[in-house]
Amino acid sequence: MDLATSLSFLYDYRLALLTGLGNTLYFTACGLAIGLPLGFIVSIIRHTGHPVLKVIATTYVEIFRGTPVLVQLFWFFFCLPALLGVDLGNVTSTITTLALYMGAISSESCRASLKAIGAEQRDACIALGLPARVSVPYVILPQTIMRAVPTLLSNCVTLFKESALVSAVGMADLMYQGQMIADSTARPIEILTATALIYFVIAFSATRIVTYYEQGFLKRLKL
Amino acid sequence: MNGYSWDSSVVLSSLPQLMSGLAVTLQLTAICAVIGLVGGFVVCLMAMSRILPLRWIAVFFIELFRCTPALVQIIWIFYCVPIFFGIFIDPFTMAVLALGMNITAFNAEAYRAAIQAIPSSHYDACTALGLSSLKRTVYVILPQAVLLAIPVLLTNTIGLLQQTALVAIVAIGDLMYQGKSLATQTYRPIEIYSTVAFIYFIFSLPLSQVVGFCEKRLRARLT
Repeated sequence: MDLATSLSFLYDYRLALLTGLGNTLYFTACGLAIGLPLGFIVSIIRHTGHPVLKVIATTYVEIFRGTPVLVQLFWFFFCLPALLGVDLGNVTSTITTLALYMGAISSESCRASLKAIGAEQRDACIALGLPARVSVPYVILPQTIMRAVPTLLSNCVTLFKESALVSAVGMADLMYQGQMIADSTARPIEILTATALIYFVIAFSATRIVTYYEQGFLKRLKL
Repeated sequence: MNGYSWDSSVVLSSLPQLMSGLAVTLQLTAICAVIGLVGGFVVCLMAMSRILPLRWIAVFFIELFRCTPALVQIIWIFYCVPIFFGIFIDPFTMAVLALGMNITAFNAEAYRAAIQAIPSSHYDACTALGLSSLKRTVYVILPQAVLLAIPVLLTNTIGLLQQTALVAIVAIGDLMYQGKSLATQTYRPIEIYSTVAFIYFIFSLPLSQVVGFCEKRLRARLT
């Protein structure tokens, strides 16, 4: 099979692949939009919070970091509707899983950078008489975010890649479309390679941005 | 709870099948972890070598496997390797191949970061002491690199344990696969998936505790 036929074959299925890519990006974006703030809140709770809240937050993080995302997806798909007695809908349960997973992994990144903030900063906040509602958004948050951005960005890339798993529960993302086309046309090589390539191009450019940012950040901290 | 009653007998009766799946999961994890630990170091040395073609191959390999979803890699290898090379290897070996290459790429990055974290004063000291480059690598760089890389390598291994759940999609009888088929056979997804999640969790949790312990020891040693 020559390259020209392969390419024209791929061109015929461009819309299906693009729709899939759109869904992949949509799931990733929703997961990020909920997961990132969630991760920050959870890390704050784990750092300075009520002991009971701390236990809850730690359990949540450990569970989501300690089980495969695939298992989480299946659990949210099959078990949550049965437990709650309401049908959440496929999209909602997919996004919930991805967001909770993202929250768990990004809370770990935030926690590491929270730890890196010197104790004297906290002492200064207390000495200045700043209440938590002032010190958290104006002192802690900016420094945490700045330090955590490289890790958080690579978490975003991770989420983008993990989102391929939603194909296993029948969500029409890029991977799902790729597999469907591969199965129905019996030409897996072109389609699966193209799918892998699309993922690669996006994730690779994203990691380049992370590296670029990291270098600028290291310069700024004069490390 | 909405009338859904937990049926422990389902869990008990499905345990033997889940355990046989668990054996496959652990086997896969162990074999791939060893491949990753050794292969990762070799690929890392290649990626840092002065011979350009070697370096290009290694960097390409690392980026390729780090920037595409593991699911895509597994499916690509399962569909395309037999067509390309006209060979039919048994599924377990294929899975080892896919997951092994994936973890090799991630471990190579871990080793590389560790080697780069060794202060340049150590290199200068080696030069000043007149150590050959082989002696420098074996006695100065390698021990420190392995030590510094341990937390990340362990984290990658936990990730690997969870990644092995993906082979369920290509019908290898691992823990996730057995869980999936039991859930459909018994119509008790909550019990089965919760048990599956729990089993993965109890294997990940001790490992992540070890990671935390190693990090603490390392920090104490380095400061």
